[in-house]
Amino acid sequence: MDITKTASPSFKEMALKLLPAEASFDACLTCGLCSSGCPASGLENMDPRKFIRMAMLDMDQELASTPWVWLCTQCRRCYHVCPMSIDIAQLVFFARGLWPEEDKPQGIVRSCQLTRSTDSTSAMGLPPEDFVFVVEDVLEEVRSQQPRFSHLQAPIDKKGAHFFVNQNSREPMSEPEEMAPLWKIFDIVGADWTYSSKAWAAENFCMFSGDEAAWYEIIKKRVDAVNELGCKVWLNTECGHSYFTMWSAINRFGMEADFQLENLVSYYARWIREGRLPVNSDWNRKGITFTVQDPCQIVRKAYGESIAEDMRFVARTLVGEENFFDMQPNRSANYCCGGGGGFLQAGMTEHRRAYGRRKFDQIAATEACYVLTPCHNCHSQIEDIGHHYQGGYHVIHFWTLICLSLGILGENERTYLGDDLLALQD
Amino acid sequence: MHTPPRTITADLAIIGTGLAGTAAAVFASNRKIACAIAGNTGALAYTTGYFDLLGFFDGRFVGDPWEALAKLQQTTPQHPLAGISSGDVRRAFTEFIAFIGDNGITYSQPGSDNLRALTPAGTLKPTLCLPATMSKGVEAISRKAVCTICGFHGLKGFSANQIAANLQNGWPKIQARQIQFPSHLQGELYAEVAARSLEVPANRKLLARILESEAGQSEYIGLPAILGIHRPDNILEDLEQLTGRRIFEIPTMPPSVPGIRLREMFEQQFPQRGIAMVPQQRIERLDFTGEKIALQLKDNHGPITISAKTALLATGRFLSGGLKARFDSISEPLAGLPVHQPSSREQWYQDEYLDSRGHEIHQAGIDCDASFRPLGKDGTVFDPRLFSAGIILAHQDWIRQRCGAGVAIATAYRAVQAVEDFLAE
Repeated sequence: MDITKTASPSFKEMALKLLPAEASFDACLTCGLCSSGCPASGLENMDPRKFIRMAMLDMDQELASTPWVWLCTQCRRCYHVCPMSIDIAQLVFFARGLWPEEDKPQGIVRSCQLTRSTDSTSAMGLPPEDFVFVVEDVLEEVRSQQPRFSHLQAPIDKKGAHFFVNQNSREPMSEPEEMAPLWKIFDIVGADWTYSSKAWAAENFCMFSGDEAAWYEIIKKRVDAVNELGCKVWLNTECGHSYFTMWSAINRFGMEADFQLENLVSYYARWIREGRLPVNSDWNRKGITFTVQDPCQIVRKAYGESIAEDMRFVARTLVGEENFFDMQPNRSANYCCGGGGGFLQAGMTEHRRAYGRRKFDQIAATEACYVLTPCHNCHSQIEDIGHHYQGGYHVIHFWTLICLSLGILGENERTYLGDDLLALQD
Repeated sequence: MHTPPRTITADLAIIGTGLAGTAAAVFASNRKIACAIAGNTGALAYTTGYFDLLGFFDGRFVGDPWEALAKLQQTTPQHPLAGISSGDVRRAFTEFIAFIGDNGITYSQPGSDNLRALTPAGTLKPTLCLPATMSKGVEAISRKAVCTICGFHGLKGFSANQIAANLQNGWPKIQARQIQFPSHLQGELYAEVAARSLEVPANRKLLARILESEAGQSEYIGLPAILGIHRPDNILEDLEQLTGRRIFEIPTMPPSVPGIRLREMFEQQFPQRGIAMVPQQRIERLDFTGEKIALQLKDNHGPITISAKTALLATGRFLSGGLKARFDSISEPLAGLPVHQPSSREQWYQDEYLDSRGHEIHQAGIDCDASFRPLGKDGTVFDPRLFSAGIILAHQDWIRQRCGAGVAIATAYRAVQAVEDFLAE
């Protein structure tokens, strides 16, 4: 494409706009902290430092056409370590938007189209009535098969509920039984919650496709749905980018959201601290080891250290201090796994696995048997690179381990358990 | 959107996450002072890892830094190190190094003489302390032992040939090899990436095999600083066992692994010790009008206020934004403190870049009282609750004098002592 013929601002103009007050590219030492800390460095012969230097040299044509912008997950690690606070991820977002729709990775484009195709805002295109059907079906099954939860509730469209809970489409579409552990946790802590039949879904690939108007449209539906039900808190479940796309869009577009945005991990921590979620690590007598993956979208790009600390508190309580091993680096300095930014949907498998090599090494260095992560994209990517590079670990949701610790994990909710954890269930 | 305000309360707010700021947090934490620390990425990731005290003084390299320090105290009483006793300097280094060592990065203890440590240019730099992963380099030079320096294809700014060539005259048994880093196929190799890779035991085995075949009869192997980020001592030990050789690191050009090690260790350890840390974010505003000092900053999630009884300014110099140079003057942008500086722009630099007298601009900075409290325009204390440490202080030339770590660690030590006294009052 020839971007010199468009009216868009140049990369240099964009880059200059994104600099903090009084900073200047002249002061960039080209030190390379950005590139040395980026798992996408070297792919397609590009890296973050090169990207910025090319912007400064007005190489707009090259920047608007390099496929590297689809290999960068916009994880903002480069920004995190840059002494000049240069937000390269924003430039990548800008570059993605310049690509004609037909040239963009079609997996991302289709996910965005599907998200817009129903009131569910589901990237898998699951319509509201199907979602309601699946929820009711699973609820019925749990009530009949798990006597302790014969009273279990999964409210839908309950006006004035405290929590509006979102749901990644992967569960109702592909593994509906995975919804039940969370419902049981809500039951145990006595949470006042509801799903919505509209805008219940968590995913949002429109932001990753660089389509700002579509991104806005999806978030508007979600904000309206929460406002309509009058919920106090939009509770983001174990999904990373759904939080970031919602939170950043509300700020970016100045939307009126009459509620708080919160993440489930912080509530797990709060409920444990308050004694409402009586989990412990007594079950882990065999010393099964765990690590956690900090999803970029909720740690580095959003809450920072507070949620990273909450996540570790929950993990250590669940598995035992002596069985927990942090990846290096971690928290806000953690590496993106390579599942974010639409990479999993983009169909660039070889590149995605090359990117994920660094994550694989981080996990291998911990020698942990399990990776806990509250993010579906992290979950899928870490599982995939584990198979590809022949790691022996498993990836597991927090809700699974919480229910395991409480002794309430149903028989069909054990998909992600390895043999060692399965043996404990018998 | 409803966003609850975020406020951190502390007895001491440390502004800056470089060597002075992190050392101050260590000293404050050891003294049970509730502290918060915030600062931009700083220059920590550019350090060699060497902690120097005073390496160049009176026109020559310093062998005995304690003797030189005593002379400095007589000849340059305004130097930040001049007001600190040698006992306090030694205690400061010892306490700081103990903290770092307890967290997996062992350093040599401050001795009576400077060590002559290797640089990536193949020169020697006087330093008081160095990481244990670099100690055997000093040993190998002094023994003039049979040694192979290994560089890696794709790793820029580190030439084994250059190092060996520059040292060969005095060290004939040194040789150079350029090797392939395991699993690195093509393109630029970053020291940080190599270091992370060596945290995986299987990758260390691959490297050990290559080193064994390349090092021939060498007793020592010198490598660029890539022996892991986290717990490098263990990685060194493992690699030595695998190869049966003595191994040492040589600093690389920035971004440097020894600096990233320190930064990541602090970022992980501080929260566990109850230190409220907001990493990689710059304090934007200071307000002294209330009973407590209010520090405003933003992280990715929005505004944060730190409310503190005292504050310590450790914002560094020009690179870190502690000082700002405009065309005709230098300012301190955060508190608006007066800056000691040359009387005019013409006085900033000598004509020759390498002039042995140094450049006057490097002596610019903040003036303080004996308790390291910055002075205001009238020469009295700017605010009794504000303290300062590190190379933002005036009357020192840390690059030329090789005293950057010494100034950072020792002034942080004394400033925190002064904070402790102030809080006790």
